[in-house]
Amino acid sequence: MEKMSRVTTALSGSALTGRTMHCHLDAPANAISVCRDAAQVVVAGRSIFKIYAIEEERFVEKLNLRVGRKPSLNLSCADVVWHQMDESLLATAATNGVVVTWNLGRPSRNKQDQLFTEHKRTVNKVCFHPTEAHVLLSGSQDGFMKCFDLRRKDSVSTFSGQSESVRDVQFSIRDYFTFASTFENGNVQLWDIRRPDRCERMFTAHNGPVFCCDWHPEDRGWLATGGRDKMVKVWDMTTHRAKEVHCVQTIASVARVKWRPECRHHLATCSMMVDHNIYVWDVRRPFVPAAMFEEHRDVTTGIAWRHPHDPSFLLSGSKDSTLCQHLFRDASQPVERANPEGLCYGLFGDLAFAAKESLVAVESGRKPYTGDRRHPIFFKKKVDPAAPFAGLASSALSVFEMEPGSGSMSWFVDTAERYALAGRPLAELCDHNAKVARELGRNQVAQTWTMLRIIYCSPGLVPGTNLSHSVGKGSSCGLPLMNSFNLKDVAPGLGSETRLDRSKGDTRSDTVLLDSSATLITNEDNEETEGSDVPADYLLCDVEGEDDELYLLDPEHTHSEEPEYVLPQEAFPLRHEIVDTPPGPEHLQDKADSPHVSGSEADAASLVPVDSSFSLISVSHALYDSRLPPDFFSALVCDMLRFYAEQGDVQMAVSVLVVLGERVRKDIDEQTQEHWYTSYIDLLQRFCLWNVSNQVVKLSTSRAISCLNQASTTLHVNCSHCKRPMSSRGWVCDRCHRCASMCAVCHHVVKGLFVWCQGCSHGGHLQHIMKWLEGSSHCPAGCGHLCEYS
Amino acid sequence: MFVARSIAADHKDLIHDVSFDFHGRRMATCSSDQSVKVWDKSESGDWHCTASWKTHSGSVWRVTWAHPEFGQVLASCSFDRTAAVWEEIVGESNDKLRGQSHWVKRTTLVDSRTSVTDVKFAPKHMGLMLATCSADGIVRIYEAPDVMNLSQWSLQHEVSCKLSCSCISWNPSSSRAHPPMIAVGSDDGSPNAMAKVQVFEYNENTRKYAKAETLMTVTDPVHDIAFAPNLGRSFHILAIATKDVRIFTLKPVRKELTSSGGPTKFEIQVVAQFDNHNSQVWRVSWNITGTVLASSGDDGCVRLWKANYMDNWKCTGILKGNGSPVSGSSQQGNANPSLGSNIPNLQHSLNGSSAGRCFFPPLDSPRAGWSRPSYAQLPPPPLVEHSCAADTASLQYPHPRRASLSRPLNPLPENEGV
Repeated sequence: MEKMSRVTTALSGSALTGRTMHCHLDAPANAISVCRDAAQVVVAGRSIFKIYAIEEERFVEKLNLRVGRKPSLNLSCADVVWHQMDESLLATAATNGVVVTWNLGRPSRNKQDQLFTEHKRTVNKVCFHPTEAHVLLSGSQDGFMKCFDLRRKDSVSTFSGQSESVRDVQFSIRDYFTFASTFENGNVQLWDIRRPDRCERMFTAHNGPVFCCDWHPEDRGWLATGGRDKMVKVWDMTTHRAKEVHCVQTIASVARVKWRPECRHHLATCSMMVDHNIYVWDVRRPFVPAAMFEEHRDVTTGIAWRHPHDPSFLLSGSKDSTLCQHLFRDASQPVERANPEGLCYGLFGDLAFAAKESLVAVESGRKPYTGDRRHPIFFKKKVDPAAPFAGLASSALSVFEMEPGSGSMSWFVDTAERYALAGRPLAELCDHNAKVARELGRNQVAQTWTMLRIIYCSPGLVPGTNLSHSVGKGSSCGLPLMNSFNLKDVAPGLGSETRLDRSKGDTRSDTVLLDSSATLITNEDNEETEGSDVPADYLLCDVEGEDDELYLLDPEHTHSEEPEYVLPQEAFPLRHEIVDTPPGPEHLQDKADSPHVSGSEADAASLVPVDSSFSLISVSHALYDSRLPPDFFSALVCDMLRFYAEQGDVQMAVSVLVVLGERVRKDIDEQTQEHWYTSYIDLLQRFCLWNVSNQVVKLSTSRAISCLNQASTTLHVNCSHCKRPMSSRGWVCDRCHRCASMCAVCHHVVKGLFVWCQGCSHGGHLQHIMKWLEGSSHCPAGCGHLCEYS
Repeated sequence: MFVARSIAADHKDLIHDVSFDFHGRRMATCSSDQSVKVWDKSESGDWHCTASWKTHSGSVWRVTWAHPEFGQVLASCSFDRTAAVWEEIVGESNDKLRGQSHWVKRTTLVDSRTSVTDVKFAPKHMGLMLATCSADGIVRIYEAPDVMNLSQWSLQHEVSCKLSCSCISWNPSSSRAHPPMIAVGSDDGSPNAMAKVQVFEYNENTRKYAKAETLMTVTDPVHDIAFAPNLGRSFHILAIATKDVRIFTLKPVRKELTSSGGPTKFEIQVVAQFDNHNSQVWRVSWNITGTVLASSGDDGCVRLWKANYMDNWKCTGILKGNGSPVSGSSQQGNANPSLGSNIPNLQHSLNGSSAGRCFFPPLDSPRAGWSRPSYAQLPPPPLVEHSCAADTASLQYPHPRRASLSRPLNPLPENEGV
């Protein structure tokens, strides 16, 4: 209540107005101080001492106090202070140790009033008593504080800090007789002005010099101190021992600290080096400044709130020779720009997510329960229930984990571990890998492997079981109608070759070929195919006619045939629970080519013989008559590999590349292959699949890759007896002719893998040691050491 | 499908970044409370804080792991204008007992005069390199010439972006065909500022980073940027968090066509743009294969985006940020057991199974924010047509299962509103 009335009186009549502005000074400023009327500011520096009027739009120079011909050292100001009761009274602290008072009421040009030359070194700070008109306090580099009565010629009393230089002195607003002083050794002292013999209280506030302090204007027991240790600390001086209430960590040494008027927890700081900005902190949120003023281009040396009851105007002087007025609403707010969320995708598909609690609470706030529950807890936690501080923020961290087996990357690990890449005939490899893929529910990949086997393995080599297997599989995923028909009708009638072909058709590999060519044709011959929008009935058109048509097709019929292959793509959503293949081929055409080759001409090129709708037949014919050379497909296979790579399944691309080896390698440029290899190896290593990764490295033909496991494979060993390097063999020393590494368990020479305890250096065969450790944790050599193996 | 595991992070202020290590077993968090915490996953899958230490004298914006080949190394950057490199010291056995590992500062990079907003290690094949960007608009690239000596870093490049930078991303491609590339995003809020995303590419001849592209369509402040893991792709995918989520593809135009020696030309396409967060998007992150994008926004939700077989990006999941009700997704799983095998296959991008999970109702498609690129020289993305086609197709062939497919999405608040 009392406060409120004071505010109204103070701001009665005209509230302060103005804008963010600055004016250029002639020289760097060292300190500034505001007049009681909040309309004038004095700027003091080594070679400047001026009073500016603060107008609406600009600063106007009102008075230059630096008069006289020869510049006196007395005018080189380290600090300046304007009396808060007497608008005509100023005091400056000079770098030569002189304290000068100025009376603006003097009629002459020279306003200098009194000169106290009592300090021996620079005076760092001067301070008027807040209520007593004639009392001035000074603190100097020489370690003394002096109290002057302006009615007398010399100091009334001298206070000796008994320690290093005084950096700041401030009269308490709470106690008439008390003042605080800060020292370069990190101490803060509390003095009673009546007792110059010793300080009332002393405590170490900072690590290193304490450059500044400021009494809280309202909470009168609070003292803020700032030091070279980059910290601002708020002390409660009312208790018996000074208690640290808050601690703000800034990014540079704190040169000035000033409580913000009317904002109980705010204070402004500036730094004396590196950092040119002025920060306003909320001491309850000590890590992030509430506001930041970035106008200055050099170190800010003085800050002052323009009016003791107006929190929005801050004045500052700087080494960059400018005087600024900052408006709080123009400040940049790092809090606002700070990113409130963190998000990271893990290796196994898990997501780490950290978010500001309030953001998350907004969501849950829709639920009545959560909203109700929050508040009591909120208040309970608060030490000070009067001021629940909204600005204080914390984040909720959670990890969303994939349920095992559902969508995690386990398919990748399983596939990598179970794929067979070499050491068996191609057909077996393909079959094995197809089986692996199918078991992991990756049907398209399984299909691809099956197709590859069919393409690259001569049918004679395909064992009958495999064949029937693939037919059976085909029936499980192809069109049921088609299959039942084919199985009973075609299979018995035709030879093994045709059966193979049939099965291919069912497993959609045939569809791939026909599809791709068919789509191609649509692309190229669109003019003559105007009828490509075929009724949907074709989806289940008479399949039994298919065989004949394949033989007897003329161009028109081809197109009527075509939808049968195209339609499954459109109808894909209908059937995709059953099998996911149909979109693949179309996708392959669409995507795989686009980045590499431009447009469909390239497609045509890749399928050289396929050049009109006739070729569709010729393909079918060829399949029936003799076999196409696998080379015929290699372009297609390459496109398929690219497709997989673009889809993010580099595993498939590399696996196929390794399995097919020379058959396809020459068609893909070395650089792309290398890229795939490195990507896949990197991925394997992420999942710690070192063995698979090494196998891939070994099987790769790219020189850049296969050298990967050739580097740093040398191991230098020294003999355990004579400490000399062992050159030829790793297990017997040439010099002392002793076997270097004996197994502590079986007492034989270890020629291969030798494990040993780093504590007692005894060890032996890996197997033996492992076995030994199952029974005992003591060293097998009997040295009594409790061995540690990691 | 997702299980939320809430972790008592015990940071005293906002957490600004979370980062998994190379193997996904460790996690680092950084906060405004000036500390970094390292979390290790136990056998049981719980995350334990194994280290927590004060790293900077200002808010720590980002933390990132180096490739484990270089050791257990972290880099952090802060409001205090520095970036720092930290290395874990293998402790003595009594350290192990305390369960706290020991991280030592190897270097402080003090070149910036303003807040360092992002720090990222370069892909491993480039060696031990580090890029930082700062609010004064400069990207700095450091290199540790001796990988065994983490305390020596030399400033190799300074690239000026002319805009206050907020985020960077290295192109992870290991292909020799792709020169080192770095994308920079800016959160400059001034209205006259131009395009906010720039792509710089290393030129072998001049040995400098030169601007290769500017994404002219991104004019709002960008908060995060992420190249997708490349994994053998010939093109690059770039996700951007601005007022919405955007996904770009950058296809290098073949070298023969461009003048040799100059920067690579790219064919840039917006493949997706979503404003479903209805607010600022703060973070984007790719899964390991670069097939699923996660984004988080001011709505406190994480959304997952994934392309279907037609390269049509759709939302495949929404996760609530507070971790407690992950009902959105778990309900989905329970609601249609009939789709059992299809639902979880988020990762099985290839068979496109999950595309079916999230068919938006046709009305929703304009809402999903498909907008054509506003600049004319690029062909309009084909996906607009595709998406319509897909939707109409799904209408024309009504399927008994269609209803149950769209149903599980409805619990999500977004779709309720539509």
